[in-house]
Amino acid sequence: MTHEVHVPSWPGVVASLALVAVALGIVARARLRISRELVVAAVRAGVQLIAVGALLLAIFKYAGLPGAFAWAAVMVVIAGQVAGRRGSGVPRSRVAATAGLAAGGGTTLLALVLLDVIPAQARVVVPVAGMIIGGSMQAAGLALRRVRDAVTSGRAAIEARLSLGLTAREAFAPHTRDALHTALLPVVDSTKVVGLITLPGAMTGLILGGVDPLTAIRYQIVVMYMLLAAAAISAYVTTRLAEAALFDEAHRLRC
Amino acid sequence: MTFVLEAVGVRHGDAVILDGISVTLRSGHCTAIAGPSGAGKSTLLRLLNRMLEPTSGRVLLDGTPLPALDVLALRRRVGLVAQQPTLLTGTVLDDLRVGRPGLTEDEARSLLAEIGLPPAFAERPTAGLSGGEAQRVCLARTLALRPEVLLLDEPTSALDRASAEAIEQVVKDLRAAGGTAVLVSHDTAQARRLADDVIVLRAGRLAEHGPPDEVAYLRTATS
Repeated sequence: MTHEVHVPSWPGVVASLALVAVALGIVARARLRISRELVVAAVRAGVQLIAVGALLLAIFKYAGLPGAFAWAAVMVVIAGQVAGRRGSGVPRSRVAATAGLAAGGGTTLLALVLLDVIPAQARVVVPVAGMIIGGSMQAAGLALRRVRDAVTSGRAAIEARLSLGLTAREAFAPHTRDALHTALLPVVDSTKVVGLITLPGAMTGLILGGVDPLTAIRYQIVVMYMLLAAAAISAYVTTRLAEAALFDEAHRLRC
Repeated sequence: MTFVLEAVGVRHGDAVILDGISVTLRSGHCTAIAGPSGAGKSTLLRLLNRMLEPTSGRVLLDGTPLPALDVLALRRRVGLVAQQPTLLTGTVLDDLRVGRPGLTEDEARSLLAEIGLPPAFAERPTAGLSGGEAQRVCLARTLALRPEVLLLDEPTSALDRASAEAIEQVVKDLRAAGGTAVLVSHDTAQARRLADDVIVLRAGRLAEHGPPDEVAYLRTATS
């Protein structure tokens, strides 16, 4: 089945600037004093997307599959910094998040390619990696935040368990469970209601591109399942590494 | 179980918490650590089960430096009860089992008897306990490990009289059975009642060390 994909032409894009002018008019009339911000946002969105489009084009054309995986690695590093910041105060939280995302994203992406669920093509790998890493970033960030909270609000309980001769891992186990639980709730919830509340990105994109809905949902089903796996692996590895960094070899909190 | 502290110092950044402490805590005795707030009493206690590492000097247990011993086994032999009682699970019985998962209900009941609580207390939810009850359960939780040394940090501060007496009785029983106790206490009368030796700390330094009736701090300080 081939489709003639209809996307806006460049003149069409320019024409849509008229809509920005409408928004500007409303903002100015209501004296919201965000006209400048709105213009900057609109320009920024255009420039950012053109840059990304050009980069993706270059990757697809010249770098191929290795380039796609390299770009995924860059995404992991950036997402690791963002998620790691949620655990500021936990030693080496950014390392933990980056390693967790690499494990979760890498495993899921490789499984999909090796099982031939998605084709091993740069134009497929890059956007799929983006979805995986974006979802995992949220899970890893939530897990780290809970780990950090556990150290402040749960310190007395952790030290009480350690004083009873429990290992660091045993003493922290209730907090590990709590961190994983919190990290996985959003992705479990969104998996439950997918299609009912939201028409997610992959499916929307395919439908816009002219693919019939029953075909589009196959992609979305795979996306939801891979997000579950990637989030679970990322949150688990991140939490375990953060936990290991929290304690020294004598089973004591480092911070 | 004799502890020897050799020139022990603890620093936290620029702050000196303990400085050049050399003292022996004798086996089979009850040693009270006294002194004003912020003198480093709790810090000293936490060195003995390695919840804290000295930044200088060393601590020996029966001649062996603590880092040479298995730390998890050490913490079971040297039981620490913190100042703030922290309950960990849903019921008293579950809490008693945190450090000893195989504890039977009979053993739990006899532990409760040791701290002066009725057998039915095992079923009580931990959420509803008073401060004194919570502190006693925390002590029983440590006693469940059958420690050879008991470290108690202000065990009876702000407790009702019945709880305080029950806890003091545990220390006396442990002493009578040949066990070792180390007790941080603001309460100079309590130190006189329970201790064979008293260590007085002042601003992180060892100010006095001797039997209770020879230590000036216990006569001058009001508790």
